[in-house]
Amino acid sequence: MSDLTAPGGPAPDLAGDRSYPGTLLVGCALTGVVVLLALVSFVWTPYDPGLIDGLHRLQGPSGEHLLGTDKFGRDELSRIMVGARTTVFVGVVAVGLSVLVGVPLGILGAMGPRWLGELVGRLGDLVLAFPALLLAIMLSAVYGGSTLTAMIAIGIAGIPTFARVTRSGALGVLRSDYVLAARSCGLSAPAIAVRHVLPNVSSLIIVQASVAFAMAILAEAALSFLGLGTPPDVPSWGRMLQESQELLFVAPRLAWVPGAAIALAVLGFNLLGDGLRDRLDPRLKERR
Amino acid sequence: MVGTVLRRLAVFVASLAVSTVVVFAFMVLLPGDPARVALGTDASDAAVDQLRHEFGLDRPLPVQYASWIGGLLTGRLGTSYVSGAQIGPQLADRLQVSLILVLASMVVAVVVAVPLGVWMAVRHRRPIGVVLSALAQLGVAVPAFLAGILLITIFAVRLGWLPANGWTPPAVDPVMFVRQLVLPALALGLVQGAVLTRYVRSAVLDVLREDYLRTARAKGLRPAQALWRHGLRNAAVPVVTVLGLQLATTLVGAVVVERVFVIPGLGSLLLDAVGNRDLLVVQDVVMVLVAAVLLVNLLVDVLYVVLDPRLRLGDA
Amino acid sequence: MTRSARLATAGLALGSALALAACSAGSTANPSGSAASGATGAAAAGSDAVGIGLVLEPVSLDFTKKDGAAIPQALLGNVYQNLVTLDESGTIVPQLAKSWTVSPDRKTYTFSLVDNATFSNGAKFTAADAVFSINQVKTSWTVGVKKAMDVVASAEAVSPTELKVTLTRPSNSWLYAMTTRVGAMFSTTGVADLATKPIGTGPYTMGTWKRGDSITLNRNDSYWGTKAHFATATLKYFKDATALNNALLTGTIDIIGTVQAPDSLAQFTSNPKYQVIEGTTNGEVVLSFNNSRAPLTDKRVRQAIRQSIDHKTLLDTCWSGKGTLIGSMVPPTDPWYEDLTSVMPYDLAKAKALVNEAGAAGKTLRLRLPAAPYATSCGQVVKSMVEQSGLKVTIDQLEFPQWLTSVFGQADYDMSIVAHVEPRDISRLFGDPTYYTRYDNLAVQDLFVAADEGDQATQVADMKKAARLVAEDAAADWLFLMPNLVVADKDITGLPKNAIGEYLDLGKLSRS
Repeated sequence: MSDLTAPGGPAPDLAGDRSYPGTLLVGCALTGVVVLLALVSFVWTPYDPGLIDGLHRLQGPSGEHLLGTDKFGRDELSRIMVGARTTVFVGVVAVGLSVLVGVPLGILGAMGPRWLGELVGRLGDLVLAFPALLLAIMLSAVYGGSTLTAMIAIGIAGIPTFARVTRSGALGVLRSDYVLAARSCGLSAPAIAVRHVLPNVSSLIIVQASVAFAMAILAEAALSFLGLGTPPDVPSWGRMLQESQELLFVAPRLAWVPGAAIALAVLGFNLLGDGLRDRLDPRLKERR
Repeated sequence: MVGTVLRRLAVFVASLAVSTVVVFAFMVLLPGDPARVALGTDASDAAVDQLRHEFGLDRPLPVQYASWIGGLLTGRLGTSYVSGAQIGPQLADRLQVSLILVLASMVVAVVVAVPLGVWMAVRHRRPIGVVLSALAQLGVAVPAFLAGILLITIFAVRLGWLPANGWTPPAVDPVMFVRQLVLPALALGLVQGAVLTRYVRSAVLDVLREDYLRTARAKGLRPAQALWRHGLRNAAVPVVTVLGLQLATTLVGAVVVERVFVIPGLGSLLLDAVGNRDLLVVQDVVMVLVAAVLLVNLLVDVLYVVLDPRLRLGDA
Repeated sequence: MTRSARLATAGLALGSALALAACSAGSTANPSGSAASGATGAAAAGSDAVGIGLVLEPVSLDFTKKDGAAIPQALLGNVYQNLVTLDESGTIVPQLAKSWTVSPDRKTYTFSLVDNATFSNGAKFTAADAVFSINQVKTSWTVGVKKAMDVVASAEAVSPTELKVTLTRPSNSWLYAMTTRVGAMFSTTGVADLATKPIGTGPYTMGTWKRGDSITLNRNDSYWGTKAHFATATLKYFKDATALNNALLTGTIDIIGTVQAPDSLAQFTSNPKYQVIEGTTNGEVVLSFNNSRAPLTDKRVRQAIRQSIDHKTLLDTCWSGKGTLIGSMVPPTDPWYEDLTSVMPYDLAKAKALVNEAGAAGKTLRLRLPAAPYATSCGQVVKSMVEQSGLKVTIDQLEFPQWLTSVFGQADYDMSIVAHVEPRDISRLFGDPTYYTRYDNLAVQDLFVAADEGDQATQVADMKKAARLVAEDAAADWLFLMPNLVVADKDITGLPKNAIGEYLDLGKLSRS
């Protein structure tokens, strides 16, 4: 996988590279559709996504089944909708885990004593030596492949990046005049962290979260494709793609629909990240 | 500079040591008894215990760890619990297959990304630059296995130009080797190339803004000449870094592409070993992959210092 | 050094690493005696080579120490041979034994052996080798199937071509077991390295084994019978159905040994370049119940599950309608087969009533599946159908070894789906209360013992009764009998229709 959010050394970043206008809009639209599909699936899907219908197998798109049916006669659109739920769920939990552990570590690394910062950095490097996919294969070997192991593996693999982004952002904030002023006023370290550091690095974190979300979607799809992710009866785009691979010549649509869904969702979150960076990054604001 | 490199080296060794403990601890947790798997469903408990003893699985954990590490250090990776074969030669062989695939894919990535990225940077305000940017964004979003399936469908099955899958050692049949390498290298390389394109574009854009390039142009060089003489060399530093980092992650990421194209690489060895509860093989493969990532990171760091002494590690 | 020169050096280093790796990658095969030949990919090129695509690669070549169907599939009948073997209809026929007689008390078997067979190490096959092979099973085999030889009291070589085997009690299953790997004939001088150098009397000898990729067998040019047509036969192993199909479509292989995705057959049936063969196997796809766990201890719940499954629809959706509905644990090729599909027919109303009667409505059952295409596919259908009856089903999927440990070893499951491919395995599943089905029924157990010891008429009658009993008691559900689906290039001949025995007969393959 093209996981470039996980560099081990001094990584060049794309921060100075302004994206085109409309990036944010397209990103918002694509991610919005994914999230909307997922939310709507809780209240309504055209059919029960698990309902087997032996009489209507492998049907092409029609008025009744907008995207046709799969080899079990299940409605493809309903499964794509519930699959969006899996995608969003995995992304939220995995990125949530990375943020919840990575951000405090990053702030600790910036505000704590020098050796602590060093330690956090080195531990981060160590975790980075276990890419998400490797970690997930190891975890699923121990606990069996499931959505949970996939989320945890992806989440853990993302921690160092968040810690690093937060730390470098926080170091910048800590050198600023108003933090020096706050310090001289006797404000405690935790208070400075909450009142000044966190709000100022939050934009960096949001941008990183969007990119990490895209990575999580790709990783989950790859794991499900290998049969190490979501169990067979839960609709997941990666698994739908894998299962329909063998039908590529009978019903190619069954492979391209989830394939396109994965690509568009990843595209959406990447564009959202780019767009947000332009909007939120103060360095770029100055350049305008 | 030497001090920085030495310090980085020490960190590398320490990370490697800690990784061995992590990997070993992980594998101890693996459920599923390798002896039971080897002997089949009807085997008696006595026979299973006997085999556990032969494998050395009944020894205390520190002893098992020590003997594993001893083996790693002396190059004796042991014999597989499941097949009884030597792990070392097999692992070396699979690693070479994966390395060829990954390096070939990086060649594809560079060939795609460098001209495209430069062009996109130079034309970044023109429509063609925008279109290429959008395409690159889409490329980043396509999982490698999807690209693989697409390539197989079009070039192997529909057009019949290339084999759909398989692997032939170059020594056996060089032509077949190349023919079978093309599609997996493309599947893996195009996606990487899309990622890389964005970094090339960004690096070149940065360079274009630099003062010395303006100076060069002021001296009468045309933009392309200025970029060629002065810019690319400077843009290369971040791009080489990204390339190095990609090498490590792609080695692991190749697992999926190896599965799609039935390539007997390290990834398929790992997945098979996990499936067969071939503990020692899993341990060794994971360790090799982790060591590879750490090593590449070290090399990138060192290269960075060597290429650009202005940069000091630790300040990043 | 200038900066650009350094960069160029780095690039050069990268390039030479590629070249270096390219020289030897993939070439560390596992040489086993003869020189490497018949490389993969070349398999389809010459008429002298044949490539067969399969899905499960053996982990070792030694089936005396390692379990699994993949080793005998590759070696039995091709490298190793037995005294007796099965023909396509499931009848025991001669192989290395020309004929045999059974004593009136049915405890002594006298085999007359062929006198012209030699092992690939040059040694002549004699009765002494047969005695050695039989005793080896008892003394040095470690796998579970060795139990089949427990019933043997003694084996002796009366003459180089005459073998006498005495059993402790009459047993119908013993001679049958001799057709499987347990009955493989080894050379007294050829068992030093079974894991990599198998030595037998078969039409092929072991060639090279590229782990993770393929096994190549070479024609045995001094074979005692009709020599094989192909000089090399390559068994190439794939991880999934799609890769297997693509390999045949693009000519990497000539034959798909077992089709893993019946829905994909359409692309071959419609293409005049290929032939599709449909036959039968011994593999009953069983929806197994843990009979020792509530609520499955209640026959009403087990019956409800059986009656909530519409087997015809299930077969149509999860295996494209290929295969046979059986209704009990007996394939049609066994002499005691009868159609038991009507014992507990699909009846959803009845199933719902039974679930309510048993007070099991809303109870959750864990369906734990091994990672195999048929299990993944049928598991989803089973869940959907069984839940109609008011029960709840959760699915989890386990890698096969994990499945072996927790489901098979510790019976930590409620329901599972697995193809039991061993021939005549009904007594194994339902005659042993410690087996993972945990089915304990004395009447059934007595019938199995009587059938094994009785004469042929008794055997058939008792086995029929036992098969009916387990079906009526809903000891498990039998989803269907796995079909033998083979796709091959049009010009390949000698493909068996049915896959009854444990092996893939390569010696008869030819190209017209």
